[in-house]
Amino acid sequence: MSEKQKVAVLGFGAMGSGIAQVCAQAGHEVVVLDTSNEQVEAGRERIEDFLNEGVRREKTTEEDRDATLSRVRGTTEVGELAGVGVVIEAAVEDLAVKKELLSAVAEAVGEGAILATNTSALSVTELAASVPNPSRFAGLHFFNPAPLMPLVEVVAAEQSADETLDTLEAFAEGIGKQPVRTKDRPGFLVNRLLMPYLNQVARAYDEGLASAADMDAALRLGLGYPMGGLELLDLVGLDVHVHATSAAYEQTREPSLAPPPILGRMVHAGYLGRKTGKGFYEYGKEGS
Amino acid sequence: MLGAGTMGSGIAITVARAGHEVIMRDVSEERVQGGLDSVRRFLGKSVERGKLSEERRDRAVEGLSGVTELEALESCDVVIEAIFEDEGLKAETFGKLDGVCGPETLFHTNTSTLSVTGIASGSEHPERVVGTHYCNPAPLMDLVEVARGRLTSDEAHEKTLEFVEGLGKKAVLTKDTPGFIVNYFLIPFENDCIRLLETGMGTVESIDKAVTLGLGYPMGTFTLLDIVGLDIHKAVATALYERLRDPRFAPPPLVDDMISAGHLGRKSGKGFYEYEAAGMMGT
Repeated sequence: MSEKQKVAVLGFGAMGSGIAQVCAQAGHEVVVLDTSNEQVEAGRERIEDFLNEGVRREKTTEEDRDATLSRVRGTTEVGELAGVGVVIEAAVEDLAVKKELLSAVAEAVGEGAILATNTSALSVTELAASVPNPSRFAGLHFFNPAPLMPLVEVVAAEQSADETLDTLEAFAEGIGKQPVRTKDRPGFLVNRLLMPYLNQVARAYDEGLASAADMDAALRLGLGYPMGGLELLDLVGLDVHVHATSAAYEQTREPSLAPPPILGRMVHAGYLGRKTGKGFYEYGKEGS
Repeated sequence: MLGAGTMGSGIAITVARAGHEVIMRDVSEERVQGGLDSVRRFLGKSVERGKLSEERRDRAVEGLSGVTELEALESCDVVIEAIFEDEGLKAETFGKLDGVCGPETLFHTNTSTLSVTGIASGSEHPERVVGTHYCNPAPLMDLVEVARGRLTSDEAHEKTLEFVEGLGKKAVLTKDTPGFIVNYFLIPFENDCIRLLETGMGTVESIDKAVTLGLGYPMGTFTLLDIVGLDIHKAVATALYERLRDPRFAPPPLVDDMISAGHLGRKSGKGFYEYEAAGMMGT
């Protein structure tokens, strides 16, 4: 896929805007679908803010920023997606919502388009079943923030054709990412490794292994991790992690994927991490 | 410093560099000399690289000596052991030192998998035994996990923290539980990576990419395991599994297969990856 295709991104949220930006920066024309004009505006602003910050830090030129923005168009009309070669779904992590959306979009884009989902916790196979000709469907899982994180997981659903996976790998490389291929299992590769570790860290803290600061210092200094496990949980959001790991546990019954009780208690107490000003640590201002 | 191997030499460097007199002890002259040479070489290189003043190096080297008899450790204020990872041996050694050192002498154990309390039980003065777990390579890694045993006194604990911090290290306090903090999280994570490989979720390269590019860790797991050695990983994982009985700590079957095949990692020229020449990276 060397010539630049018209790409559709479904959902103009944090991930959707990041993915749209990455594709546009690589030269693709991108149309982003969302449910309201407000969402479309908000999404576009996210890209603008990110690129402006890039200009400020001299990572991006003003010309590149303008060129990127000129390639991104937002819409609330499914019909505008006709002729798109690649669709990347990045809507809310809700199976019913995604299925309905994919079904509608599949009809609009035609049988030739490759359909990919950015889902992190749902079954790519189940989502593939919601579109006709599911052999052209696979997972294309980006990491947050998409413009900065080089890895993309290319996930093979039961129905995915090798050709689809090859095409998505080439597409990912074309937009400057490093793809790794994996099977449709909860957590794929990265989160499948991360979730049990985060569960273990939270449980160990609850059991008094060490103070939060000491535990995180040990992980940073002893293992060279960019941040400790408790810091990371606060950053990701305890509720987000619990949701993902619970879903994975439901599907696999793998004990290490079960969230330890402390996380449920903290979520009930409203201690979700940075976004509520308190998690395992306290934060000066909400969200900082 | 008991044990003139990699960790013993590394800790000796750290301690000598901080201005303390260090006596290195091992069971043979050869091993002791090897340790002393290793320490002097490192200190010399530190000077060459501008990391250490000649004056401090000279002082460190002057205060450095080596022995094979335990009796020579009579005047030590601190004894740090980094000998073979066997609880009985460590306990017995501390017991022997009861007859050599005064009851005020701190006994520090660098064990990574064993119980500080268990090791301390070999001494008639278990209150002076403290776990101080350094990371490899000790001269470069700031972290020391400090684990007080069940019978460790407040005084010994406080003095140990002072000593460790005086070396320029960052001390973290941990319970005397298997693997303390670092190995407690690292080992099962490494096993999870091996299981992903076993179950076809990825290749050696793709899983290592997931770890470095997806999680931002400094090194891929398989790269790290090849450096550590599959045999060492099996020993550490097994030791922790036997104490914890947590399935995540059990080394997966692939590890045994690789050991059987002689694919131990860098030291045998092949592990998860292949290497041009067998041998460890220089430290």
